[in-house]
Amino acid sequence: MAKLTIDGKEIEVPDGTRLFDACREARGGRDLPHFCYHPDLSIAGVCRLCQVEIEGMPKLTIACNTIVRDGMVVHTTSKRVNQAVTQVLEMHLINHPVDCPICDQAGECGLQDQYMDYGLYESEVEKTDKVLKKKAKVIGPHVILDQERCVLCARCTRFCEEVTGTGELGIYNRGDRAEIDVAPGVELDNNYSLNTVDICPVGALTSRDFRFQKRVWLLKSTSSVCNGCATGCNVRVDHEGGRIYRLKPRRNDEVNGPWMCDKGRMTYKDVHREDRLDRVLVRREGELQPISWAEGRQELLGAVKPGGVGYVLADPGRSLEELVLIQRLATELVGEEPMAGGVSDDGHDEGDDLLLSADRRPNRKALAWLDFAEKPAEALAGELSGASGVLLVFGGDPLAHQALADAASRMRVVYLGTHRTATAEAADVVVPLSMWAEKDALWVNKQGRIQRGQRAVLPPGDAREDWRVLVDLLQSIGHDPEVAGLPALRRLVAARLELEDENLLNRLPEGGYAPPRLADAPTGGR
Amino acid sequence: MSYKGLPDVVTTRRRNLLESAYFTEIARGLAVTGRHLIRNLFNTDKMPTVQYPDQKRDYGPRFRGRHRLTQREDGSPRCVACMMCSTVCPADCIEIIAGEHPDPTIEKYSKEFNIDLLRCVYCGLCEEACPCDAIRMDTGIYEIAAETREAFVVNKDFLLNNDKDGTL
Ligand code: SF4
Ligand code: SF4
Ligand code: SF4
Ligand code: SF4
Ligand code: FES
Repeated sequence: MAKLTIDGKEIEVPDGTRLFDACREARGGRDLPHFCYHPDLSIAGVCRLCQVEIEGMPKLTIACNTIVRDGMVVHTTSKRVNQAVTQVLEMHLINHPVDCPICDQAGECGLQDQYMDYGLYESEVEKTDKVLKKKAKVIGPHVILDQERCVLCARCTRFCEEVTGTGELGIYNRGDRAEIDVAPGVELDNNYSLNTVDICPVGALTSRDFRFQKRVWLLKSTSSVCNGCATGCNVRVDHEGGRIYRLKPRRNDEVNGPWMCDKGRMTYKDVHREDRLDRVLVRREGELQPISWAEGRQELLGAVKPGGVGYVLADPGRSLEELVLIQRLATELVGEEPMAGGVSDDGHDEGDDLLLSADRRPNRKALAWLDFAEKPAEALAGELSGASGVLLVFGGDPLAHQALADAASRMRVVYLGTHRTATAEAADVVVPLSMWAEKDALWVNKQGRIQRGQRAVLPPGDAREDWRVLVDLLQSIGHDPEVAGLPALRRLVAARLELEDENLLNRLPEGGYAPPRLADAPTGGR
Repeated sequence: MSYKGLPDVVTTRRRNLLESAYFTEIARGLAVTGRHLIRNLFNTDKMPTVQYPDQKRDYGPRFRGRHRLTQREDGSPRCVACMMCSTVCPADCIEIIAGEHPDPTIEKYSKEFNIDLLRCVYCGLCEEACPCDAIRMDTGIYEIAAETREAFVVNKDFLLNNDKDGTL
């Protein structure tokens, strides 16, 4: 441990701590001004903003590249320091275009914030004297570059070298002509490119998808979990007026660190896709026709009766709470050995060794925990051909498999899902469900970590909280699970998983919880 | 709770007989009205009444009338869709949809720009917030009439050519 004094406050930090982090602790969580320091990247020490005064040293020192020493006396707010920071900022702004009105970063810009804290000087540079560089240069499928706004902190280049190892970005030229760019013929085209947009402290790298869609200060943020794959990156859903505008990673060092993948970021688009189901549909005269919720509920309750249901299929895209309820329902409907499970062939694609999993379902682990038998489409088709009555499908798109569609053609298909899939087209009753961002739900990632996603927006039309639909179904067949709200539901889930504390899922820690007992349960599927 | 220096209970004076007799007070009131009537009849030029709509009152140059969108020298709209006005607007009546401008030196522009004149409180914060001097309320127009609520939502084209009279 090293004992040091920062701004008159004595603190003790472990040996080897960076002075930058020690200062944050001493300053009550307030960072030193900085552009280039990033806890997950190597030290560059190029922006010179984090300068502090250390007693006994003749010159100011950058805190990000200094390791604490026992007995250090550090000043972070002295006149000398403030003056230095202001001058460095002024230097960063010499050629800066200051086009905040059309800059997507405005509102979350390091330059704006630090100018308000340390700048506030009158600029002595005429607009006409500024060095002009390339603006609005598309450098990849997701990212657009404005070289004039760049402060050359080298975070983006370090990210591409150290995290993805792809090295697309580089700093070209010298002096005030130095600029970030991709080499001719190269594109910033890796599955993590949008992280450069997150870490770019200014508006030099911005997202093409989010470009000009919304000013950031109008957005509200909700914590959630990405549903793009089994990794379950922690995300922040930025939304306004019932519309999601972007996903940003939320730090969870046990899961995704500060990053997330581009594929995951684009999953919000599925929530607002044209083919979302928003009404109950029933087949009348061969056509699927929308009906009111009250009527639709009667149709659903009428179709789902013990003895009448031949098979239940559940997709690992449904939440943990839903799967627990679905399993209860299936046991009541089709007997002791529930003939239920998902299609194990679905939801697999290529993964990578950073975050993206080959398993593209957010909750397959939960399916395994609940002993739902997932089977390949062929095997399921065989079982289905022996079944009769109603085929009850929760989410996914099992009937996209021709074999399953053929096997199910003799059955009455009741589909509860989110999009107008092939299964919806083949169904006789279609009930709209909510998607991940539209409900408060638990997800089990591939590590066996239970994580909570909160509701960001409301589901479209007649779609409602999925677990209520399931409870309604259970009540109608005379097996009331007696859950009136989410806390009771989570106690039910905890009991099903035999967790030691029945309220554990109601008090889930920020980073989620991985029950040790269930850690080694195998994941189904391939 | 009682405030310092203020009585807890407010008592009112009882009216005397003359005051509670209806006619004396009516006569006093009529006398005031009559005095003004006669004074105005003999000094018509000092009368505050304006013969609207034949006559209109002059307002100062800072009067905030209906908004307009200004143009650059080449005639293109100055608005860059920065949303400062719609953010600051206390009535939340400005709706802007931004788009990518074909000219890369301009980059961002407003594809749509709608103001709901019924919700606007004519506070003038929008023109103060605008960093590009793109929205102004200097048309002097305050007569705004229409037959439907929808007609009060004026669009970008309208605001760019906002020298018409009050009819929407
Ligand atoms: S990077 Fe920041 S300071 Fe520069 S134009 Fe964008 S918002 Fe303004
Ligand atoms: S583009 Fe952004 S992250 Fe990259 S060097 Fe410039 S300011 Fe830093
Ligand atoms: S790695 Fe998976 S969970 Fe994480 S963002 Fe990408 S798709 Fe989503
Ligand atoms: S005058 Fe005030 S209320 Fe009207 S549009 Fe401008 S900011 Fe909004
Ligand atoms: S943060 Fe220390 S030099 Fe940039």
